[in-house]
Amino acid sequence: MSDIFAFNGATNSGYAQPAALLGDAEAAEGIPLSMRRAALPQWPRASEPELVRHFTWLSRRNFGIDTGFYPLGSCTMKHNPRVNEKIVQLAGINDLHPLAPESHLQGLMSIFYEMQEMLAHCAGMDEVTLQPVAGAQGEFAAIRCIQEYHRSNGEDNRDKVIVPDSAHGTNPASAAMCGYEIIEIPSGEDGRLDIEAIRAVVGDDTAAMMVTNPSTLGVFEPEIAEASEIVHAAGGQMYYDGANFNAILGKTSPGLMGFDAVHYNLHKTFSQPHGGGGPGSGPIGVKSHLAQYLPKPVVDRTEKEDGLDGWKYFWRVPINSIGKVQQWHGNAGAVVRSWAFYRRYGRELEKMSEHAVLNANYLRHRILNPSAEVIAKIPAMPVDGAPAEIVKHEFTLSMSPFKDATGVTGKDVAKRLLDYGYMAPTLYFPMIVPECLMIEPTETESKEVLDKFAEDFLNILTEDPELVKNAPHSTDVGRVDEVWAARNLVLRHPLGN
Amino acid sequence: MVDHLPNLGREAEMLQAMGLSSMDDLFSDIPNSIKRVDPLDLPLPQTEEEIWADAQRLLSVNVPINSRPNFLGAGLYENFVPSMVAAMATRGEFLTAYTPYQPEVSQGMLQALWEFQTMISELVALPISNVSMYDASTAAAEALTCAIRVHNRKAEQKNVVYVTKWLPEQRLSVMQNYTAGGDIEIKTLDWNDEGMIDLVAAEAASGSCAVYVEQPNPFGIIDENIPKLKQIIGDNCALIVGVNATSLGLIEAPGNWGADIVVGEGQAFGIGATAGGPLYGLFACTEKYLRQMPGRIVGKTIDDKGNDAFTLTLSTREQHIRRHKATSNICSNETLIALMGGMHMALLGPTGLERLALRNAAACQVARKGVLSLEGVELVFSNSSSYNEFTVVLPGSAKSALSYLDSIGVTGGLALEDTTLQASEKWLHITTTDQTTEDDVNALVDGLNSWISSFVTGVES
Repeated sequence: MSDIFAFNGATNSGYAQPAALLGDAEAAEGIPLSMRRAALPQWPRASEPELVRHFTWLSRRNFGIDTGFYPLGSCTMKHNPRVNEKIVQLAGINDLHPLAPESHLQGLMSIFYEMQEMLAHCAGMDEVTLQPVAGAQGEFAAIRCIQEYHRSNGEDNRDKVIVPDSAHGTNPASAAMCGYEIIEIPSGEDGRLDIEAIRAVVGDDTAAMMVTNPSTLGVFEPEIAEASEIVHAAGGQMYYDGANFNAILGKTSPGLMGFDAVHYNLHKTFSQPHGGGGPGSGPIGVKSHLAQYLPKPVVDRTEKEDGLDGWKYFWRVPINSIGKVQQWHGNAGAVVRSWAFYRRYGRELEKMSEHAVLNANYLRHRILNPSAEVIAKIPAMPVDGAPAEIVKHEFTLSMSPFKDATGVTGKDVAKRLLDYGYMAPTLYFPMIVPECLMIEPTETESKEVLDKFAEDFLNILTEDPELVKNAPHSTDVGRVDEVWAARNLVLRHPLGN
Repeated sequence: MVDHLPNLGREAEMLQAMGLSSMDDLFSDIPNSIKRVDPLDLPLPQTEEEIWADAQRLLSVNVPINSRPNFLGAGLYENFVPSMVAAMATRGEFLTAYTPYQPEVSQGMLQALWEFQTMISELVALPISNVSMYDASTAAAEALTCAIRVHNRKAEQKNVVYVTKWLPEQRLSVMQNYTAGGDIEIKTLDWNDEGMIDLVAAEAASGSCAVYVEQPNPFGIIDENIPKLKQIIGDNCALIVGVNATSLGLIEAPGNWGADIVVGEGQAFGIGATAGGPLYGLFACTEKYLRQMPGRIVGKTIDDKGNDAFTLTLSTREQHIRRHKATSNICSNETLIALMGGMHMALLGPTGLERLALRNAAACQVARKGVLSLEGVELVFSNSSSYNEFTVVLPGSAKSALSYLDSIGVTGGLALEDTTLQASEKWLHITTTDQTTEDDVNALVDGLNSWISSFVTGVES
């Protein structure tokens, strides 16, 4: 194992620096003696050659989309175009200060404006802010806007947010951070929104309902317009979790479904790389009645002859803005990457969604309809998480029948997939599907990859159950003991202590 | 014609395999009443070459802070990130990975983040660090709510936190949003005439859940009173300290003088100011706050054969398990930028950190001396110390000075009146960093001098 704290190649520093403007003693004069640091942190003492090898070694022990198929449901692990990385290295984005005069930021602000307009158009919303830096922060910001909207209407009594039991965990967590009581409603037996369940809980205390559509089961909610009507009739607002937006661009929109507010995950739909857990970007779009509450500022523009392409861009503060959710203007770097991604498709973004849905349905078909010969070898086939003729960009499988027949769990199958060179699907989510595997291939996988994955997946179901239960076998480490980690809590390097 | 869709032109074959006849069949589950009728009204698709050209065209209109003498900072700093960092962090295995939910194939990222946690722990002298918050402000805001979860039960002032009087307006705004749902009252901690926390007034914070201060403070002053706060507020009130990360190469680590939670902006290590994001917020704390803290944490563990391994741990605090009872809604964070920060810190090493801090401190001394030599310019708090930044009172409007400086190619800093609470229109916030040169300082001092001359003679530009 390569240990970054064990290097000794740099007794001083691995990185030589230019001389300071003053000698050390004089430079330090600004720091009161009582506050001077007594002992420096024990950071690594490594040279660049050693570190390059260390981080290259680490990278080879990590699996990304570039490594192989990454069917992680709900996460939209599509290809990340490399030119987008090249663009954000430009000084014209990398070395900008958000508080610089507007005249220093016109190019960036034009990209912001174009993104605001594009996102609003695709979702059927009236205004967009790019400030939230993650999907969860978008949810939080939008629910705060809705909260202020109700308050300004004198409806402080609306203290409940309705969330289906299939929702992403961030939905109830974000609404709870705004102080709302969460009313979780059960899905229908078919995994869809249960209209009667909504009717049973809405009332004059309803602030909002948060819905993902297509749902986390990957199926379109056919009664979504009716759900919106019911919530609106009770005076509540409809919030659209845009995690699954990749399925519907150009086909329908949250606006058409009756939603008032939506967040976008630029790190899903618009290919901001996930980076091992971030950065993301979670802009929100709202209908006009909520626009005055959006976080400040948004980009606006006015005609100007000698401006950039005839425009002068400026920051505008919505009149009843909730203020800031991030200190600056959001993850501008992610916005620029997503702009480069969207420009590649332009008006044909619809094709992106078509192919995401084509691939998901094709893979689902391949897995659930193998030849009789293959079926004969499998103790029990997985079943649909939610019955549906057509799914959208992802689908769920319940491995329950297989578990009952063999003792092999969904988790075991997921771990065995790692041996075959795949990332595991999303596991045990949504919680309403027992032994759930959630699979999202995205539009950037070829038919050959999907065929091979289906074949390998089904092959795993024919393997010796003991082999699968102890998987993975060929990864850098064997099955990791998460309980040991939580019991022992070794959260940093002991550094020789 | 779009690219990056490997199955373009093979739709019929794939549809046929499923017994479908058209792409429309794939969307037959969307009711007609809510189907989009018109195609998207967007421009034609572009090729990579066209996108690259337009990106260069638009972004070259911007004025990067390192393209001219720059004194704008205020929490985001002009820096130089060693080339190794982007080269390593953009390796596809790091860049294109999701959160390491499958540790068996994510050991690289997990280990790198565990190393990052260790480096942050060392930097601030607290035992625990998470793998990042969104930025310094969200880290500070979530530190307040974390402290309330830990201390509210025993607190005499329930749901009350105190924050330092002079704060950037944006940071206070983030705090207000993050505390809006909890009926939390944010009270103010006063300053004395020397630009430091008023220790007598601070006694009012005793019995509350948390005190939030910054070291150096937002004016760049190193506050010698802050280390005395912990004794005043006691054990059942969290001392939360916001830090300027590079300053810790010279200034004593807050964990060594009573801080319970340390937050701050990590940006100076790892990434340029990037128009305000992506950045990464630091969040470190003592064991007392561990189970109430927000964000992801990596722990060392073993695999089924007893070999060393790493994994995400303490997930039961998090939204995907605990849902509305989670300690935070944070899911996507700023992992890749934290990774870049870790790489930068590892390359610097202990003495490199000290050297970087000395370069910052030196530039600040030189700039401060130069600016204060000007007629009618003085520090807002006289005789105060400074690191990276200082705030002066000008003989006229700071906006007018900045506008003049901009016209001669100098980004002079920040007029505080719009961005900092209760600030005067004459207050100019000046930031220097390790990137500031003698020439930069001369340009600023000469520019301010010209502006003052025109101002004094009444021919304001």
